[in-house]
Amino acid sequence: MNNFIQLIKNEQMKMYSQTATWVMLIILAVLVVGIGVFFKVDGMLMEDSGEPSENWEEQLQAENEQLQQEIDKEPGFSGMNEETIAMNQYRLDHEIPPDDYDAWNFVQENRSNISLISLLTIIVAASIIANEFKWGTIKLLLIRPISRTKILAAKYVSVLVYAITMLLFLYVLSFITGSLLFGFASINEPYLFMKDGEVQEAPIFQHTASQYLLSSVNLVMMATFAFMISTVFRNSALAIGVAIFLMMSGNTIVGFFANQEWAKYILFANTDLNQFFTGTPMISGLTLGFSITVLIAYLIIFLGLAWVFFTKRDVTNA
Amino acid sequence: MSESIMELKNLKKTIKGKPIIKGLNFSIQSGEVFGFLGPNGAGKTTTIRMMAGLMRMSEGDVYIQGHSVKKNFKEAIQHVGAIVENPEMYPFMSGRKNLVHYARMVPGITKERIDEVVQLVGLENRINEKVSKYSLGMRQRLGIAQALLHKPSILILDEPTNGLDPSGIREIRAYIRRLASEEGVAVIVSSHILSEMELMCDRIGIIKNGELISMQSVNDALEETDKKEVFLEAEPINEAQGVLKEAVNGKVTTQGGQLIFTAKREELPSIVQKLVEHNINIYGVTVSRSTLEDKFLNLIGEGAIE
Repeated sequence: MNNFIQLIKNEQMKMYSQTATWVMLIILAVLVVGIGVFFKVDGMLMEDSGEPSENWEEQLQAENEQLQQEIDKEPGFSGMNEETIAMNQYRLDHEIPPDDYDAWNFVQENRSNISLISLLTIIVAASIIANEFKWGTIKLLLIRPISRTKILAAKYVSVLVYAITMLLFLYVLSFITGSLLFGFASINEPYLFMKDGEVQEAPIFQHTASQYLLSSVNLVMMATFAFMISTVFRNSALAIGVAIFLMMSGNTIVGFFANQEWAKYILFANTDLNQFFTGTPMISGLTLGFSITVLIAYLIIFLGLAWVFFTKRDVTNA
Repeated sequence: MSESIMELKNLKKTIKGKPIIKGLNFSIQSGEVFGFLGPNGAGKTTTIRMMAGLMRMSEGDVYIQGHSVKKNFKEAIQHVGAIVENPEMYPFMSGRKNLVHYARMVPGITKERIDEVVQLVGLENRINEKVSKYSLGMRQRLGIAQALLHKPSILILDEPTNGLDPSGIREIRAYIRRLASEEGVAVIVSSHILSEMELMCDRIGIIKNGELISMQSVNDALEETDKKEVFLEAEPINEAQGVLKEAVNGKVTTQGGQLIFTAKREELPSIVQKLVEHNINIYGVTVSRSTLEDKFLNLIGEGAIE
């Protein structure tokens, strides 16, 4: 165990000694701050987010009445409106004023940047083994009294550590940027959401953190896939290309085969765990438990293939 | 020459049904510098990769201090320090960070040991620079430093003088000799350059097409009693040739103003004396050391790589 930690320290040292790693971090930072500044400027121009109004209760009641009228007119499209009415009523009942755009909203907004982190993690996962072969350093790495399995595991864990680092960086940076630009918000701010037709309340911190984690499922799966491809073919470009292509076209693939009975076994039908908490699954018959089982099965296959090829194959001319 | 550090037993490698290494059997003693000689493609690197566990053995085994590389890799490999082919390091890290990296992979290597090894290879002034700024010679030194970190009892160096300038080659050679004699480290050096091996090694194994075709100690090869080629520069040349023919009782040829004949080493003083007695001016006598090279070429032959 002790030397496993040493191995991970080694991988992290190599990672952060490369300029590319820092460039990735800077790209993400520029994007977060840039979006923040853009929102701020854009918001000021539109001038719609003023101070929290004194008479928010009257406003909410007025909104609810208006929505109720719309429902009466067009009963077919009532779902969204009913939810809004229920939430507004909840605020009125529990005296929670609607919050303005603040740091937490900005954190939620930045969840879309997880796809960028996926991209970066795929690049890291695809290079971490292939580069050792490219540099020729794999030979010096494997002639130590450490099993190949352990070296492979250290590299995989390092990829996950990288992903977690980037996610934390995004989360914290977007909270700081949001606080500076849109005003600080308490960690205990309540977040309202609908579940099973009822309004629920949760601390916003918990909500955003779990949102980030759920959105990272696809990231982990595609990074593991890239890791496997690059270990099998020892070629990072191929691994990056295939993984990014699949990541982009995942939903299309599921949509295309949605009517097939085996569609629910497709990896991408199961990567969006958010669908079980908010909204309905893309494919009928999916449950959270089923999806998690499928995901674990894919992980085992990917890592198993990587292991077989990494430990069994000869290291010839790199 | 006491205990045997490494033993190869019927080592074979077959790649896609084609035998590459056809059963190697030999052992290497502590304090010995063993030269692994053969033309390109003979199987030197494949053998070395199998010794270091980078390639699987199709048959047979390698034992390092009694531990099987095949079955007990960790135990066996911890006695080995190696450079396989070029000393490839992480170019974006400093020399020191590279060493720290490998030091972390073996328990018990202290910071002091790293400093010690750095000093040993004479890199102390440049160790904090990035490896990408190193010359090939410096990388080679860093490679050796890396291989010595854990005080191995056997050092495997694949083409250690590849790409080094003459002074670098000389330094490495002296260094390898010192390691062997002072620390009792067994050293395996592979090369296809014969003259280099003669100066460095105690024993040379010649491999051709995956088979060990000859094994001889360097001193044997240069036996005193063997006849050697001698080059003589003298004036007047015709008179000298006549005297020589009598003296060596053999053929004397001229080539580029030099006389060439063969003689035993012990005969040389008397030959020179005779020449002097005939008032011949001698400008130079050179004894060729090509015996081993001739042997090598005879053994290797013109045969192409199978």
